[in-house]
Amino acid sequence: MSDGNLLEARGLVRSYRTEGAPIRAVDGVDLVVEAGETVSVMGPSGCGKSTLLHLLGGLERPDAGELYLAGERVDGLSEAAWAVRRRSRLGFVFQAFHLVDELTSVENVELPALLLGASRRDARRRAMALLERLGVAARAGHLPDRLSGGERQRVAVARALVNDPLVVLADEPTGNLDSRATGELLRLFAELREARQALLIVTHDARVASIADRLLTMRDGAIVAQTRLGPGTSAAGVLASLAELGGD
Amino acid sequence: MRSLRLAGRLAARNLRRRPGQALLLLLVLTVATGVLGVATSLLGSADAPWDRVWRATNGFHVGLTVYHPPHEPGDRALVADLRRRTSELTDSPEVTAVGGPWTHLYASIQVMGGREDLTAEIRDPGTSQVDQPLLVAGRWLGGGDGVVLESGLAATLEAGPGDTVTIQGRPFPVRGVAMTASRGRFPLSRPAQVWVTPATAQRLRGLGMTEEGFELQLRLADPDAAEAFVAAHDSFQATDPDSSVVAHMETWRQRRADSHADLDILAGTLLAAGTLIAILTVATAAVLVAGRMAAQVRQVGTLKAVGVTPRQVVLVLLVEHLAVAAVATALGLAAGRLLAPRIAATSVTVLGAPEPPPLDWPRVAVVAAVAVAVVALGTVRPALRGIRHSTLRSLVAGPRPPRRPGRLARAAARVGVPLPGVLGLRSAWRRPGRLLSNAAGLLLGVAMVVVALALRDSLELLAVAPPEPGHAASDAAVGVLYDQVRAVILGTAGLLLVLGAVNAFIVATFAARDAARNHAVLRAVGATPRQTVTALIVSQLGACALAVAAGIPLGLGLWSLMDGGDLPPVTVPATSLLLLAAAVPAVFAAIVSVPALLLARRPVAPALAYE
Repeated sequence: MSDGNLLEARGLVRSYRTEGAPIRAVDGVDLVVEAGETVSVMGPSGCGKSTLLHLLGGLERPDAGELYLAGERVDGLSEAAWAVRRRSRLGFVFQAFHLVDELTSVENVELPALLLGASRRDARRRAMALLERLGVAARAGHLPDRLSGGERQRVAVARALVNDPLVVLADEPTGNLDSRATGELLRLFAELREARQALLIVTHDARVASIADRLLTMRDGAIVAQTRLGPGTSAAGVLASLAELGGD
Repeated sequence: MRSLRLAGRLAARNLRRRPGQALLLLLVLTVATGVLGVATSLLGSADAPWDRVWRATNGFHVGLTVYHPPHEPGDRALVADLRRRTSELTDSPEVTAVGGPWTHLYASIQVMGGREDLTAEIRDPGTSQVDQPLLVAGRWLGGGDGVVLESGLAATLEAGPGDTVTIQGRPFPVRGVAMTASRGRFPLSRPAQVWVTPATAQRLRGLGMTEEGFELQLRLADPDAAEAFVAAHDSFQATDPDSSVVAHMETWRQRRADSHADLDILAGTLLAAGTLIAILTVATAAVLVAGRMAAQVRQVGTLKAVGVTPRQVVLVLLVEHLAVAAVATALGLAAGRLLAPRIAATSVTVLGAPEPPPLDWPRVAVVAAVAVAVVALGTVRPALRGIRHSTLRSLVAGPRPPRRPGRLARAAARVGVPLPGVLGLRSAWRRPGRLLSNAAGLLLGVAMVVVALALRDSLELLAVAPPEPGHAASDAAVGVLYDQVRAVILGTAGLLLVLGAVNAFIVATFAARDAARNHAVLRAVGATPRQTVTALIVSQLGACALAVAAGIPLGLGLWSLMDGGDLPPVTVPATSLLLLAAAVPAVFAAIVSVPALLLARRPVAPALAYE
């Protein structure tokens, strides 16, 4: 793999057993994400977008294929070794936020830093700085149950960023947010690009996909199209063209 | 009727869908009902054989025993006066037949290489109207020398007709062996007893035997009037307190109850054990039911959503648990019928083959009460909760998120407890009901282990103590009884610990289920499986800490209640208690680690997919 690739997948396959024949949720995906690049993955429900994201983050294991993270082959790592990679090099943002509901906002944010071995003081300082930057410092001592959806997602983003990961993996990050909170989150993602952190977003929302440098379109577990987005190319337009071509 | 049919169908479907849980509930319930079933069947299993001997011997309704220490003959005048006054009893209109008064001589007999106190009761060679001993071997007293042995004494000596026994150092031929219901069987009932003719008694007097009192036995027209008869003649028992003479009247029912004290002690111990196990079973069932609560409440919500009335909902849950309880009750009672005669057969007091008493309502009620308590626990709470909550809330029932951050975990973080420990403490009080049920279950087990440790030490002291002079055989028989009691207590401690472990496992399994999402999140942000396993173990250790902290003092308290009887007092060594305090959490952690490890092996993504 080339030195600039933070994340690279080659022939990634993941199947699920059902009552009938096995279903290939991810079917031979090749993918490269470079430093500072933002990549969106779109496609209909059940096409394998989330499974691909889970495979890239080590939350699921591929049945076949190779996976590299910052030049290191990681598809055969143990669960414990993956945990160490996740805490130091990856950040996750989920649609359902997935905050630990027994921890306050600031405790959720500082958790990856503590797991990485930061001192309590340093972890708290970094967490508070991020919450400040994301505008939720006032809610630092609150449990997730007491936060709005937008506030929870900002806390989740802060948690994803606390260890300055190489890549942030976001699975439908605006799925549970209203339009105002979605706008705030997109502004945050734009800031990530400025910080040269790579971002891979799985989304249904063309507005979200539009912030990416590249748009990957998935269908039946495979990437069927790659489009570089730029001025004059919108994610919605790309999808509409694809739908017309594929009759979807 | 239609409601009942619907409830039956839904309950059957529930049981079929979760056969493992239903079987586990049945198993723990049956352990409790089984022990109680054995205890209740054991109580009174010696009554039927006693009744048979009592009828065959024309046993007494009221007996009077007058005793004075043979080496203090100063009160002989008082004894003679009481003997004269017996006509007040024998001439009473209620009395239909009289046996005695029979004089008792005091002596000693050689048993098992030692010496036992002996009472020789002087009988005429003929047949008595009351308490004519039932011959099991040989002949009754006739002309010539010789003795008839009480059957328990004969069994201990392994002697029969034609053998000789050594009384006061001289050999006497055995004429026969006989049973009586008028006194307990040797060796648990002391002193040993033989029957002799006046001629033999004369010879015994020559060997130094002295009188120690007499016995009078009466049959009444109405056996149920025995208590009233004793009360009416209470003056016989009111002897001079400065005198060493003891006069004692008893009814046939009192004698029957006293005749099998060993079985009563054993049954009492089993009842106590069964009650403790039942309490723990309720805790286990509560934990099991609590684990199903979310699903149950959701089901209530579903049923309400499709138009089933609250009454019908309660009926479904009631039928489901009643079915399990009914099977457990039947199994417990059957175990009692099967095992009680075998246990009772080890007793040395039963006059023949033991027979469990017929199943009556009180016995069934004791056993069924445990099952009913569990039914109440398993039904009322989820039903009420489901009915009280709105249909929508019932449908989304799950673990309630915490309201405020835990102070203990915060303090632990400040003092530098490792992160997995802090995370575990965060979720320790997430389910306080389950934590307390778990703690209660373990607490009883720990307490019983403390009692068992103390009992073991005490019985060891008893075993090394030299037998009292004249008690060689009876001390050995008491030793057998203590061994049985010890086996019951050790068995109970073991069962309680097993049930406590089952509790811990169930609670940890449900805790793992509750924690699945949080642990998946922890792993997604970089926690290793080992860290999540540690967090889950720590979250459960609170119950164990409570159990050890309260169980050891409780066990010592229970022992202090038992102490002070015939058992030598002991203090459980601090090292044993410390060892227990260390071993219980270690074993507990090992048990909890099983579901924790299983949880850690589960893939992260599916747990995150459910929200």
